[in-house]
Formats: sequence, C-alpha cells, structure tokens
Amino acid sequence: MERHFEQELEKLNKRILKMGNLVYEQVHNALEALLTGNVELAQQVVGNDNQVDRLDVKIDKLCQRIFALTQPVATDLRLIMSALKMNNDLERMGDLAVSISEKAEGISEYKEILIELHVDELASMADLIVKDVVNILHTKNTTFVKDIFTSASAIEEKIQSISARILDEMMHKTEVIVVATNLMIILTHIDRIAGYSTNIAESIVFVVEGRIIKHKGKFQQDAVSDVPL
Amino acid sequence: MKEIKIKTKNLSLYYGAKMALNSISLDIPEKEVTAFIGPSGCGKSTFLRTLNRMNDLIPNVKITGEVLVDGLNIYDKQIDVVNLRKKVGMVFQKSNPFTKSIYENVAYGPKINGINNRKKLEEIVETSLKNAFIWEEVKDRLHDSAMGLSGGQQQRMCIARALAVEPEIILMDEPASALDPISTAKIEELIFELKKKYTIVIVTHNMQQAARVSDLTAFFYLGELIEFGKTRKIFTTPDKKHTEEYITGRFG
Repeated sequence: MERHFEQELEKLNKRILKMGNLVYEQVHNALEALLTGNVELAQQVVGNDNQVDRLDVKIDKLCQRIFALTQPVATDLRLIMSALKMNNDLERMGDLAVSISEKAEGISEYKEILIELHVDELASMADLIVKDVVNILHTKNTTFVKDIFTSASAIEEKIQSISARILDEMMHKTEVIVVATNLMIILTHIDRIAGYSTNIAESIVFVVEGRIIKHKGKFQQDAVSDVPL
Repeated sequence: MKEIKIKTKNLSLYYGAKMALNSISLDIPEKEVTAFIGPSGCGKSTFLRTLNRMNDLIPNVKITGEVLVDGLNIYDKQIDVVNLRKKVGMVFQKSNPFTKSIYENVAYGPKINGINNRKKLEEIVETSLKNAFIWEEVKDRLHDSAMGLSGGQQQRMCIARALAVEPEIILMDEPASALDPISTAKIEELIFELKKKYTIVIVTHNMQQAARVSDLTAFFYLGELIEFGKTRKIFTTPDKKHTEEYITGRFG
C-alpha cells in the first residue's frame, strides 16, 4: 500500500523536477535570444516568468504542508529542506534569465562583438551547466556533481577573460560604453546562474548522501562535517 | 562525556525457548534521557524491564549476560532486589495509583523504607509532588483519593511516588501513551526537568516523542539492537538503513 505521505513526497519531487525543466528552458531561451537578437524569444522568456513564480509558491506551500502535517525525519527531512533551497535557487535563476532577456534587445545590433568576445562560447557553457544540474536532479546520480564544480570554475575563468577584454574596449572606444556595461551585467548574471547551479548540486548531495559539501573553498571538508548537528 | 550509569554486556533473554533479546551491549549515560524505539515485539520493553529485574517475576525467563548499574551486576546473587528497585524506579504505561489518598500514595515508599516521622514524610510528599509538577494541582486535596485525579494527573502522581524513594534511575514504559496532548506535553516537560537529577530510560512508540525528549536513541528490532546513538544523529542521518526505514515509517 502506498502511503499518503509517499504520494506527497513524490508530488514534491515532481514539482522540483518541473521547476528544473522550466528554469532550464528559460535560461536556454534567454541565452539564445541574447546571441541571436531574437526579440520575440526574449519577450517569451519575460512572459513565462510568472509560470516560474507560480510554481515557486506551489512548492513552498507543499513543503510547508508536509512539515506541518507529517513531521518528517532523516532522508525525508533532508529532501524537504533541500527542496525549499533548490526551489529558491531555481527561482532566482529564472529571474536572471528574465534580466538577460531584457538586456538582449539592446545588444542585438552587436552580434558580431559577442562572437568576437567569445560570449557565444560562454553561453554554451552556461546552458550546459544548467542542463547538467537539472539532469542530476532527475537521476540523483551524485557522481556527476564534481563536473558541475569543474564547469563553474571554467565559466568563472571565461568571464574573467571576457571582462578584461570588454574593459579594454571601453577604455579605447567611448561609443561602446553603454553596450559594454550591459554586457558586463549579463556576464554577472551568467556567473550567478553558474553559482546557483553549484548550490543545487550541493543540495542534491545533501539529500542523497546526507553530507554537507558547501563552503568547501573556505573550510576544510572535515571542518564543515564536524559542525555539530 | 558523562559517566556510564547502566551498562549491559551481551544481555540475552529467553521466554522458554524463544529468544527475546539477543546479546545486547549498551551504555546508558547518567543524567541523560535514553529512548528505546522499535516496532511492537522488538524487545524494547523487555530490555527496559531487565534493568530493574522486573522480568524476575515472569516464569520461564532465562537471562544471560550482565547488567551493571554503577558497575555492579544487578543479577549477582547477593544483590538485594528491593534496594535495586529503590534505586531504579519505574513508571508504567497505565498509571497505577493505589486506592488510597494522594498523600498515602506518595508516602508509601518512604514509609516501607522505615521513615515514620510525620514532618519528614510531609516534606518528602511535598518535594516529590513539586518535582513531578503536580503540587499546585493537588496541594489542597492531599487526603482525597488518588482515584479522583485525571489520567494525566495520576501519571504525574505516580512519577512523584517513584521520586519519593529517591531513585537514581527512572525507567518509563510508554509513560504518555494513554494521555491527551496537554498531559503528554506536561510529562515531556517533566522529563526535561528530571534529567537534571536522574538518569532516565524511556520506551515509546511515539517516534516524535523520542525525538523531542531524548538525548540518545536505541533502535531495536526482533530482539536485536540495530543502532544506538545521539538522537539528533538518529533522526537526521542514521547510519543503518533499517533505522532509516523505521523512523521514516517505510518499514515492513
């Protein structure tokens, strides 16, 4: 007999996956709109944001209900705690996709600059990291989590090199200041998207293995594990 | 690290030919609350009862291994069972007041232990009832029958009765399972207070109660100790899959 509680958890799982798919689609379309200058696609991303917001609230309410009515423990508790966090991270990624789309229009005339600066390569990397983390969300296979961290580092390096070139351009050509500033903002958004992807990867490890791996850069791994329960 | 108050070593118990406890070794620290959880028939109550030799009264029970309380094996021949039970008090699932006054219920233990001084007895009764959080409710009717108290009050009075003989350990077998939520909350608050002075061992079917009141949790299954550890660990990241399945309700 499948218990009511299991059905609630399954529902939560499904909603988080749906949120993951939806946000991936938003990020994917935003980046495509940026590179192609497709204004319609950019507007579609802006328009779809309310779907992300609605799902965000639905997931919050479901978590609240499960907490209040079932007092979950152990793996169930970790799942619900992490669902709240991942939901938050995904919703923020959705907002960043909207911000990128809103800026895409102003940049559409400078498509060749984007190619020249390798923003297209950065966009593919960002697209892939979100796709990969949503995939791990589906499979719960934590062996691929390390790839997310590797991708995030590569994205960070790429952003640094592109930023340096943009600054250089800005210093020599004052006419590009507006577009360059917008581009810098977009780079920051992409950086944040990669950051949220690593957060989600950390949450998945917490759900599946019960290990806390965040802040690994700042603390030794053991120091984090040793924080008392 | 707190001192170990009760230590069992390879404790096995048989009802006739049937093994009910299989070589349980467990250290219970003093002045902490240790909870035993597990499905019905897992041996948790049987194990609790070995800690003050309540199983002695059941025919065909055979016990092997050791139970050390303060380092002394309570199954040694020279152990005085009455003294042992004075040191290791017990509270049961169903409150069991004597059909006497509240005062007489609480004074009973001290009296049979030879205390006859009226003033001393009054003092013990008052302190015990206060420590069991029931003094305010009964102080004006100490000589009324204990049977007139509500279920929750009776249970707290029984705890006062257990405290009156100044035990060091209190065993509780489902002490709140027959009580309403408010009485249950009072008992749980009481357990928090009592652990400052006493070592408490509690058997409960209510998993959330174990999580709320205990410092340590032992999970029993089919007469075996499956996992024993800090409650906060057991209820967040248990080591054994079996424990996880039981506490999350995915069991059997």
